[in-house]
Amino acid sequence: MTAPQNPITRAIWDGTLPIKLSLDTTEAAALGAKTIIEPYFIEAPRCSYFPLLTSQLRKYFGDMMLNFIGDDAEIWYDVDGTPLKWHYPIGLLYDLHTGYRPDSNSPPPLPWSVTVHFKDFPADKLIRAQAIDATQDFFMSMIKEADFLRNGSTKKVMNLSKNDQTQLWDGLWSKNYDRFWSVNYRLVMNDGQMPRHIPLRIYLPDNCPVLQEPVSPLDDNGNPLTLGDVLHQILPELFPSSLPSENSFAAPVIHGVIPQLDMPIVRASQNLCYPDNFLHIVVLLGI
Amino acid sequence: MSIANSDTTTFPNNSSSSTSLNTNLVENVNPQVSLNPATALEKYKKKDSSKVVVRFRAIGNAPILKQNFYKITASNKFQAVIQFLRKELNYKASDPLFLYINSAFSPAPDEIVANLHKCFSTDQHLIINYCTSAAWG
Repeated sequence: MTAPQNPITRAIWDGTLPIKLSLDTTEAAALGAKTIIEPYFIEAPRCSYFPLLTSQLRKYFGDMMLNFIGDDAEIWYDVDGTPLKWHYPIGLLYDLHTGYRPDSNSPPPLPWSVTVHFKDFPADKLIRAQAIDATQDFFMSMIKEADFLRNGSTKKVMNLSKNDQTQLWDGLWSKNYDRFWSVNYRLVMNDGQMPRHIPLRIYLPDNCPVLQEPVSPLDDNGNPLTLGDVLHQILPELFPSSLPSENSFAAPVIHGVIPQLDMPIVRASQNLCYPDNFLHIVVLLGI
Repeated sequence: MSIANSDTTTFPNNSSSSTSLNTNLVENVNPQVSLNPATALEKYKKKDSSKVVVRFRAIGNAPILKQNFYKITASNKFQAVIQFLRKELNYKASDPLFLYINSAFSPAPDEIVANLHKCFSTDQHLIINYCTSAAWG
């Protein structure tokens, strides 16, 4: 089954990040490494999740004679000492942790340097997954949460056949655009109905709590609200106006780009959402 | 002559209007420049100390609580709600327990109660269903 043509969702789906995964040096010794362990380089889809890389990594480091017999779910990742949330998409984690503004004059920090850990899972900072299937469960829960925001129920997801529901996750891990988008298209387009609320989350620097509010796609007069309007409503101090020219120090970043602020929020949601159906907006300050 | 006159009369008008436009621009720009992004962030960093009502509903053969609604600090993560319910039910970490919002979906433990309440509450109550086997998996 082929998905409807959309160059934007296609480009987002094809977006990848080169990542350099290095083994924590003290752990390497503890795991029986006798020589220096070379890092593993991978080009990972921005829309994917770290647990989907774990089996490759395990094989690579296993071939280096590392003695690790634990479960895949024990393997975790960090950047500069901050554990990475495995249930966030990789692209979101990159935008959030590098804080790289695409409009700056310096080149992006690539490949992205991430440390892999096989020991001492930080259960106080990360959710402990019971099994590797947890990624799929968390992903499907996000899709249902998004559906609830759009429709006040999860009927649209629950009315998908078992096969179609499975196709969402299968399409994602097997990197099959048509498999995923032929089903997901029905969800994000909401069968042509205007959604009640837009599924979105906003991430601010300095460990501010994540913001999620019921965001209406229309104003009181039924006119479409723009991305700029929404940012101005939720973060008036950082976006003193909904117009692009007046917002000099804060910039929203989605999939590593700064989107047009005058784009209707419903269009942004349909085209720029991650596979979990949420618009994940990282707000960065200064250049 | 009359044309020249009208030109000279409109010219100063134009220049005065452009001066006032400039002043407007400066007035618009100034508050932004003086706005310190760090101070703006402080506001969003502050923990919400307000409390919200959560209402627990048992599903299937899950034990019923004596009291089914509680006030919970809004800035808590959903993890705190899970732990609270486990304690109330005297459940060990190994006992299976599944929590859902509005009989519909299971939020991640790191989602913030305030956000869930803002987005999904009914009559100011956040309705949490719980059961001992996966229900709306």
